Amino acid sequence: MTPLFAAEGLELAYGQVPACRNISFHVEEGEVVTLIGANGAGKSTTLRAVAGALIPRAGSMRFHGRDITRLRPDERTNLGIALVPEGRHVFPFLTVRENLELGGFKFRKESTRVRTLIEQMFAMFPRLRARASQNAGTLSGGEQQMLVLGRAMMSEPRLLCLDEPSLGLAPLVVQDIFRTIRSINAAGTSVLLVEQNARYALETASRGYVLQTGSIIVSGSCSALKQDERVHQAYLGRAAVAAGSQVPVSP
Amino acid sequence: MLTVILQQGINGVVVGSLYVLVALGLTLIYGVLVQINFAHADIVTLGAFTAYFVTHLFSGNYFAGIAAALIVGAILGWLVNAVIFAPLRERANELLPLIATIGVSITLQNVMLVLLGPIPYAFDTPYSNNVIRFGGIFLTMQSVLIIMMSTIAIGLLYAFMKFTILGKALRAVSQDRETAALMGINPNQLIMLAFVIASALAGMSGAMLGPVLVLTPFAGTTVIVKAFAIVIIGGFGNVEGTIIAGLIVGLIESYTTQFLDPGLIDIVVFALLLLMLAVRPTGLIAEKREENV
Repeated sequence: MTPLFAAEGLELAYGQVPACRNISFHVEEGEVVTLIGANGAGKSTTLRAVAGALIPRAGSMRFHGRDITRLRPDERTNLGIALVPEGRHVFPFLTVRENLELGGFKFRKESTRVRTLIEQMFAMFPRLRARASQNAGTLSGGEQQMLVLGRAMMSEPRLLCLDEPSLGLAPLVVQDIFRTIRSINAAGTSVLLVEQNARYALETASRGYVLQTGSIIVSGSCSALKQDERVHQAYLGRAAVAAGSQVPVSP
Repeated sequence: MLTVILQQGINGVVVGSLYVLVALGLTLIYGVLVQINFAHADIVTLGAFTAYFVTHLFSGNYFAGIAAALIVGAILGWLVNAVIFAPLRERANELLPLIATIGVSITLQNVMLVLLGPIPYAFDTPYSNNVIRFGGIFLTMQSVLIIMMSTIAIGLLYAFMKFTILGKALRAVSQDRETAALMGINPNQLIMLAFVIASALAGMSGAMLGPVLVLTPFAGTTVIVKAFAIVIIGGFGNVEGTIIAGLIVGLIESYTTQFLDPGLIDIVVFALLLLMLAVRPTGLIAEKREENV
């Protein structure tokens, strides 16, 4: 079976500065896959390439078996790839409702569908409903993260890419966000998760890839990765593993 | 005395509302692109001449002239973006498009100079000499028409930006172009839309400024200088601020003419501009740009 998304031998660079070498990974239909690694390992760069914000120097990407390597970000969104960028990036001077509406831009000719989707997002994030007509820039960090998640889901993506969804959020809010990510996945959306918080990432995903200085060094099922000596020492640490067992997994 | 103040107030609003139309175009383009289109001035001039010739061609149908100016403006805007801004955007150099539009502006002015000559054209519309009187206040039908047309145009633009999905997408592109692309919005199409709307407004305001201004190939330049001042006073990229600033500049102009000296207009306007830059450099209505975390 062809995977939902597959990247083959990606070479990524910012201008003349190389960032990632020979990156190959795939996401199966219905999976949560995580890319973990230290700051600057190339996780976000890889995700930018998946979304089309960075065109690779070499290598290819396929979505549903179709070659998407040279497609623009808007074309990929219309095919069913949604990216929640690092740092959230709400449209600060648009209202919460307008932000969601733009998330459903590809359905702009079907106004009932957009309204139904907005209702679904409000059901998933009741706090957004209360702030529907407020400018998105006035929301708290946690609320903004909910908004960008909802905004991405407005395009009914097959593959949801998340870049550091826990960044800068309080632990309780992070739990909330991860619970939502799991329920989004349970409803049938595949997820590609980039996360510095390796513990959360490995608890949420089924498979993972570990990046170090721009290359994938290990990959495998998350339960195997948790036992891997290198992952262990670099990202989890003994104390963290003990704490990790207390992370609530079920909603 | 009161009638003089009222009379000049109306004159100020007439001119001011046309400045607003020109300035809104500049601010719209600046919003999506963070670039300045110097050829905007010449789209105003070409709009004025288009209206002049079309009105004469259709035996005095001024509305045909306005419509033609609007269309010519839209086409020119499309061309300026397609030929200059879009290709140069690939090169990621901010200065190139700016200099290129100065080049386009000078070229257009000189082409018009060759074709039309330096002598001012007398653009009288069927409404210019149609005077209405309220007590001591005189108002030409032309002025009434200008206020009506520009109010409609500004209202339509505002409604477009506020209530349509394309308008919202345009605002999204101004706020965060990369993220807008992640929504499935093609920023290049929206930038083109901004150019077409802005330039259609410029052409249309040219058609209405023609009868008010000294109509020469350089007519737009005098307007654009004030439009820049308005855009800065109102806050770059800010629609409400631009409207208020445009009306203020229009009023300053007419009251300066009445109570001081017409020659002082530019000095007063630019003194205000400098004061504004010193006291409130973000403009009348400042949007808070810092992110809320």
